[in-house]
Amino acid sequence: MKILVGVKRVVDYAVKVRVGADGAGVNLKNVKMSMNPFCEIAVEEAVKLKENKDAKVSEVIALSVGPKQCQETLRTALAMGCDRGIHITTDKRTDYMELQSDAIAKLFQKVIEEKEEGIDLVLVGKQAIDSDCGQVGPAVAGRMGWPQATFAAKVDLDGDGLLVERETDSGTETIKVNSLPAVVTCDLRLNTPRYATLPNIMKAKKKKVDTYKIEDFDVDLEPKNKILEVFEPPPRKEGILVDDVNTLIDKLRNEASVLQ
Amino acid sequence: MSASGNKIHPLVRDLYKRAILVGRDYPHPRGLNYVREQWKRAIRENPASQFEAIQDPALREKAMRKAVGQGRYAIREMIGVIQLKKYRTMRRRY
Repeated sequence: MKILVGVKRVVDYAVKVRVGADGAGVNLKNVKMSMNPFCEIAVEEAVKLKENKDAKVSEVIALSVGPKQCQETLRTALAMGCDRGIHITTDKRTDYMELQSDAIAKLFQKVIEEKEEGIDLVLVGKQAIDSDCGQVGPAVAGRMGWPQATFAAKVDLDGDGLLVERETDSGTETIKVNSLPAVVTCDLRLNTPRYATLPNIMKAKKKKVDTYKIEDFDVDLEPKNKILEVFEPPPRKEGILVDDVNTLIDKLRNEASVLQ
Repeated sequence: MSASGNKIHPLVRDLYKRAILVGRDYPHPRGLNYVREQWKRAIRENPASQFEAIQDPALREKAMRKAVGQGRYAIREMIGVIQLKKYRTMRRRY
């Protein structure tokens, strides 16, 4: 089995983002960036499959689109256990402002069709914490004509295919993916990503990363959706302290309209 | 950390480097600086003289490795904190 894992370099989850001075997007200057948490889960799942002898995984390839700093993100993926990396370089913003999901999905398609033969499984995170689209996984499946299992909370091998437990708002759904190749998007409870330790990071430096320029792929990168405005949510209004229960009930009934 | 003439056992230097690597993601308001302060303090509290007091070189090495082992355990705990904080934040948000 040959696995392709998508990893995205995003603003670190713990950073409090601010809108840039020009209002064109979130301020990315000097802001801590790291691998999308859901992408970490996808990498972990790929590496776990590789460690599972029954899966017979020959290679796990990590793919990332972005500026030259994406090399660090790819190195983290390699340190977690991927065998090779592919870096598609671009200076366009990948947080939805310039490159959007359809362009990324087209790039995935080009990589699968032209650069890497025999990909059996595409593992990506369910969504990126900067753009929150959740579209790349399904879009790649649609373009390739492959089955997809999204929001995977458990992935098991089942004959020629996979048995995937999907996490939905109304409960867990188990679906069978009859055959590979397929696309699986990973949800939070799928696994706990390992931390890349120093010896693994050292080993990862020797692993190969292929670099391609985004222009080398004949792909239309124009954003299909136009961003009209980027603004911060209005600041939370201050709460009021009430003196007694009656005032509280009065306020809940009349001002907040949550009681009859 | 090492002034010229002040020798650090290579295991200890490696331990400190590991701690700093993990410390970059440690969730504390002061972040890496906090981690650095705590670790330097912890390492200084176990000075070389403490180990040199042990005469038998084999036992000395053993004591050093035990201390480094405790350090590595502390690093695994730090990793645990990082992973937990991330999981909880993600779960709350999504």
